[in-house]
Amino acid sequence: MESAFILGVVTLSSAAAAMLFMRGRPRRRFASAIGKALETVGIAAVFLFLNLGLGFCLALLARAVGVGFVSLYVNDDVTIVILSVLQALVFQWWREPEER
Amino acid sequence: MTARGALRLLGGLLMALFAAFAFTPLADVMHRAVVGPPPPLEPARAIVVLGAGMVGPQLSDASLRRALHGVVLFRQGRGPLLVMLGGPGDGATAEANVRIRLAREMGVPPEALVADMRGRTTREESRVSWELLAPRAARKILLVTGREHMPRASALFRQAGFEVVPAPVDELPAGAVRPQDRLALARGLLRELVARAYNRVAGYL
Repeated sequence: MESAFILGVVTLSSAAAAMLFMRGRPRRRFASAIGKALETVGIAAVFLFLNLGLGFCLALLARAVGVGFVSLYVNDDVTIVILSVLQALVFQWWREPEER
Repeated sequence: MTARGALRLLGGLLMALFAAFAFTPLADVMHRAVVGPPPPLEPARAIVVLGAGMVGPQLSDASLRRALHGVVLFRQGRGPLLVMLGGPGDGATAEANVRIRLAREMGVPPEALVADMRGRTTREESRVSWELLAPRAARKILLVTGREHMPRASALFRQAGFEVVPAPVDELPAGAVRPQDRLALARGLLRELVARAYNRVAGYL
């Protein structure tokens, strides 16, 4: 029930936005937008894996050199996901050709 | 395949995984496969409650659940000794001490309570527990921790020398239907699977 409700709300808002603001735009632009969105998700995943891997290694290194005890669970913080998405967005826009 | 194509494929796979975990019972199916049914409880020489961290000066949700389960087991007469573990984390107050205060307020006599705050990982906790309990001839223990954490914790405590009777606590929202709860379950499972893999690679399991 909750899943259907949430998916219904998102579908309705997407349909409303498309009708209000996207009327007359070519359909291939929609496919291209989906592709770019997936690309950004892919870049975010790469950043997330990098951040988690680096965090894991640094925590182990800190333990090994005696700097202090860093729990491996520190890498489980949800802010890492949000910051990885932010990194991906910046990286993606940086890669795009400059607007004239 | 170009880098752009590979990123799109990765993004598509992740979105498919997200949808499967959030909007289908996939996480529950995985949970049942990873965790298995709980074994029957038996009396033991001690009840050992593993640490689960502090949130500022307060017990975390998981820590409180484990501590309460330990107290319930003690009051049911499952063991004569209640061992509360847990270090200070980022704060000044040790988790074990907060749990001991809670157990006292819930009627557990002080002579039945043992606190130790040295263990920072499950492996360290198993060694510390052995140091505490071997001189008291308490080899058979009721181990209290999260249901998902239990297989790894049991293995480490058996390696330390204990005969382990698992007494798991539900910490993750198994059986939930809200998408965010399903994602929390998937995240918890993934975290535990990574921890098991790390312990195997490191030679601890």
